Amino acid sequence: MSNLLAIREKIKSFYAAFEIYITPALKFITAFVTLLLINKNLGFMGKIGSTAIVLIVALMCSFLPLNFIILFATVFIMAHMYKLSLEIAVFTLCLFLLLYLLYFRFSPKDTFVVVLTPVCFLLKIPYVVPLSMGLIGTPASMISVGCGVIVYYLIRFVHVNASAITQMDPDGSVVRFRYIVDGMLGNKAMLMTIVAFAATITVVYVIRRLAVDHAWTIAIISGSLVNVVVLLAGDLLYDTRIALLGTFAGAIVSAAIAVVLMFFVFNVDYSRTEKVQFEDDDYYYYVKAVPKNTVAPKDRSVKRINAQGGAEENRTANTGTRTADAVRNRTMARTTNGTTRPAGAVNNRVTESGVRPRASAGSDGQGNVRIAGTPGTNRMTSGVPGGNRMANVGSGNGRTAGIPRENSMGRSGAQYPPRRNPE
Amino acid sequence: MLNEKKVIMMTKMASYEGTEGKKDSGVVKYYRGDFIGLQIIKSVIYATIAMLIGAVMYILYQFEDIMANINKLNLVTMGKRFLFIFAVVLVVYAVISYAIYSYRYSRARRKQKIYAAYLKQLGALYERDAKK
Repeated sequence: MSNLLAIREKIKSFYAAFEIYITPALKFITAFVTLLLINKNLGFMGKIGSTAIVLIVALMCSFLPLNFIILFATVFIMAHMYKLSLEIAVFTLCLFLLLYLLYFRFSPKDTFVVVLTPVCFLLKIPYVVPLSMGLIGTPASMISVGCGVIVYYLIRFVHVNASAITQMDPDGSVVRFRYIVDGMLGNKAMLMTIVAFAATITVVYVIRRLAVDHAWTIAIISGSLVNVVVLLAGDLLYDTRIALLGTFAGAIVSAAIAVVLMFFVFNVDYSRTEKVQFEDDDYYYYVKAVPKNTVAPKDRSVKRINAQGGAEENRTANTGTRTADAVRNRTMARTTNGTTRPAGAVNNRVTESGVRPRASAGSDGQGNVRIAGTPGTNRMTSGVPGGNRMANVGSGNGRTAGIPRENSMGRSGAQYPPRRNPE
Repeated sequence: MLNEKKVIMMTKMASYEGTEGKKDSGVVKYYRGDFIGLQIIKSVIYATIAMLIGAVMYILYQFEDIMANINKLNLVTMGKRFLFIFAVVLVVYAVISYAIYSYRYSRARRKQKIYAAYLKQLGALYERDAKK
């Protein structure tokens, strides 16, 4: 286990150091594999089927935002469908438009799953998707996954029935259109897969959020079982004729991949490394913020010994409060203005059984200042909890120095800090 | 001399500004009712276009039957049925849009308030440094 942790630390530091190269490389590989699989399974239009075109498009995708992979995949699919049959292309276009108008409009953050799901199906590891989205997504991810399943079954239907479609009467446009509509709407395997994946995502999401030990592992195992059970139930009810051995093997492999994902995602969040630049009167700052793992802290109790009498306890028990509390405690210790320092502030005792937050500065050897922040994310949004109760530190004689409280904020419009006049 | 606390705070604020802050500041410029109303109108338009696409697909699917019975079609009944389905889809979609955008507005407003509080805190730090 310690070897795994050491490997994880090495990978983490490698990614942090070379993230600027790794992200485009990953996008390139994803786009390349996606387009290659589309060409392999459809491949009716030879012009875009060449590896050179795929390489050029994948190279473009590596520098463009992630959603461009979705766009190019859509274009490739439409091109192949058009080459096969105009009616199939019309149906595909209508389907994609419906998906866009009714779903993508809300722009959830996991629209890329619509591309990832068919790719995982084509790579024979389909059950990884609902397990992963249950671990790292929200229940809304089931819509993305459902759309991805629909896209996959469309590609599969056309791939399997391409010869039958080309042999149909060239004048039978309506027949071809009805053929594909019936094929998609009557596809019980597709419907059962969507139901199974939705159930898996829900189960995994609910269980991994429980405050029990090994919640994520239990969630992965439960999700895999639910997935297999629902698929088997669908097979019994609707005779979808799924391969039982393939389903079991796929579930085991997917669970293993999900465990690997859990190992990395739960401990290291690669996706949120951020680079920001700003300046003040004295310095230009080029800061790279690499978030640490967001482990839920132990319960903390802040015991205030008030001069007015009695000791009060406030409890904060949320990851997001740790950073704000650390800032607050340090601010409280240094405040010298009597009007802002609550009575008895020096007697605050913070006890926690977790790691005491600390901040240290150092250079990473590249001329950038590295601030190792307090445990938790460096995002402001989780640094001060939204919707969570904040500990009410202070004797109530006025606003404590710089402590944002949700119920006292009200000034609209950001006020930039006043600049110091040069001496 | 670097002030670590200030840098950490400014980093978080810059990180927020660069990512969600842009969207959130555009959202809170509206009043709540105006923002949600605007999004519902957009949703209604998109749902209308989606319904028209669905209708076209249905007509294409039933094209042969429609052409065979074109003289016997009861267009009024068909129109009423289509309008009923259209109304149901619109209402459902509008309700979903209301729920989603109402939540997004609350979240954006909350984050903007937190950001403003960080600004105040930063301002206080600057004032304290200026007095030294």
